[in-house]
Amino acid sequence: MLRIDEGSTRHWLLRLLGFAVITFIVVWVPTQMSSSRIGQFTDAFILMIAAMSLNLVLGFTGQISIGHSAFFGIGGYTAAILIKDHGWSPGYTFYAAAVVAFVVGCVVALPALRIRGIYLALVTLAVAVLFPTLVRWKKLAWLTDGSKGMDSVRYEDVPVWPILGELKGREGRAVFMFWLGLIVVVATYLVCRGIVKSRFGRALVAIRDNETAAAVMGVNLTTTKVLVFGVSAALCALGGVLSTLKSGVITPDGQYVTLLGSIVFLLVMIVGGAGTLWGPIIGGLVYVWLDNTTRDIGTSDSGILGALFGWADQSPATLILGLVLVVIMFAAPYGLVGLAKRLGRKVVVIVPRPVGSSTPR
Amino acid sequence: MSLLEVRALSAGYGPVEVLHGIDLDVDHGEMVVILGANGAGKTTTMRAVSGMIGRSGSVTFDGVDITRTNAEKLVGMGIAHVPQGRGTFPDLTVMDNLRVGAYARSGGIAADIDRWFAVFPRLAERRDQRAGSLSGGEQQMLAIARALMSHPKLLLCDEPSLGLAPLITQEVFEVLKKLNADEGLSVLLVEQNANLALKVAQRVYLLETGTVVASGSAAQIASDDAIRKAYLGA
Repeated sequence: MLRIDEGSTRHWLLRLLGFAVITFIVVWVPTQMSSSRIGQFTDAFILMIAAMSLNLVLGFTGQISIGHSAFFGIGGYTAAILIKDHGWSPGYTFYAAAVVAFVVGCVVALPALRIRGIYLALVTLAVAVLFPTLVRWKKLAWLTDGSKGMDSVRYEDVPVWPILGELKGREGRAVFMFWLGLIVVVATYLVCRGIVKSRFGRALVAIRDNETAAAVMGVNLTTTKVLVFGVSAALCALGGVLSTLKSGVITPDGQYVTLLGSIVFLLVMIVGGAGTLWGPIIGGLVYVWLDNTTRDIGTSDSGILGALFGWADQSPATLILGLVLVVIMFAAPYGLVGLAKRLGRKVVVIVPRPVGSSTPR
Repeated sequence: MSLLEVRALSAGYGPVEVLHGIDLDVDHGEMVVILGANGAGKTTTMRAVSGMIGRSGSVTFDGVDITRTNAEKLVGMGIAHVPQGRGTFPDLTVMDNLRVGAYARSGGIAADIDRWFAVFPRLAERRDQRAGSLSGGEQQMLAIARALMSHPKLLLCDEPSLGLAPLITQEVFEVLKKLNADEGLSVLLVEQNANLALKVAQRVYLLETGTVVASGSAAQIASDDAIRKAYLGA
């Protein structure tokens, strides 16, 4: 077992190594892989953003939300409406979507001030169910185009960025969406990290751990909860914008816009590790990988899986995915990040700074 | 004028009234203990004073009427509450618990943390541990240190001996007594362990089903045979 002092040269080298590995993967994927693979990574980015936003309210503040699919949809629809009806350039819709979702998020937070646990889950569930219905509503069809949804809201010609150079055609768009997605993921991560490590972030965890004690320490429960819901909704909407720009379409029963979306976000967050910064990132990668791998199983009759599932009319993808997730939850009740931390401690231990050295004298 | 003046305070939970108009004072630099059986309304009194539950009557703190002020504001005004059962944040580290304690103010926080680490050396050793991994006694110390981070004039301490071994309880009381004597910190204490509380406090209120049935100096109460028999077990 390796023992490394926190803040020592070796600790920094270890961090640098981690950073280098991530950078390598991030450059390797869009330059060396097929555009469908690149697209899968962008899908993972979209899930990461949504799961990170959910993590802020659920993982760190302990306020359960099953309504995040609505925030996701609000982001997607804001982008679609602004691009189609108002001729906005797609890039700017990120900001607008974040603002709209922030306001809606703050309003949805109001019930969270009075109720908690399963009751809050039910209220947010209602939001998730309500959103697609609202979008389909005839009287709103002038805005949302009703159940047929909106299409061709993607980048027609992707902007030319330095380094990337000119990107053309479907392949070019896939590469561009990958980089755009990565930027949003990194931005979302930095916002979450900034919040969690700050005074505001400590207040969030304090509310999760003991609401009463947080209040008597001077934490304003109302402001804190409303703000965190607003920020979370805004971040989730960024995922929605990205998803719409990638596929070019959004419908009331589109991917992650319905209640199912909220469940997937929840799953990604918990499988990755709730209340950790990296959990949703790992969770997003694992979920998309599992989803794409299991999808093809059972379509051919060969092999063990074919023998096992060949009798089924439908692809057993959902069944296998569900089983794998159950196994993961048994093996890693604190998520994959929790598991990695536990196993990692057997190999490398980061020794915290000795007592009395945190405050400069 | 007293630091804390409570007049005709009534409070409860929903339709149930627990306190039926109590009067209570805490002077500057005084340590006052509220004694009483389970269900007498001790914890309710604390919650009503710190603004966590609805109340009627009047509460004046440092000359300001705080009857309508909410809990978060009171922290900034100088009332710190150590809730019953400690209420530390188990998933935050010891350091971060203390930082949350200073939530209502800013500046000089690191120096304050060092100061309370000097008073509670055990906490310094465990600074980077999750509060949930501390022992009961350490958690109680942490809860007190955390409350002190807000620079209170009045510390409300709700049954610090709960679930602690007698020796640890004594340690906690030593600290409270020291803070009271050396720093002039006013303390309002709720306690079941009457004998110990009478040794450290200057004045006593005896609470029974939501009303004050007796009050006086600690020495008076301790020597009153009738009270001793009824409340303190001979």
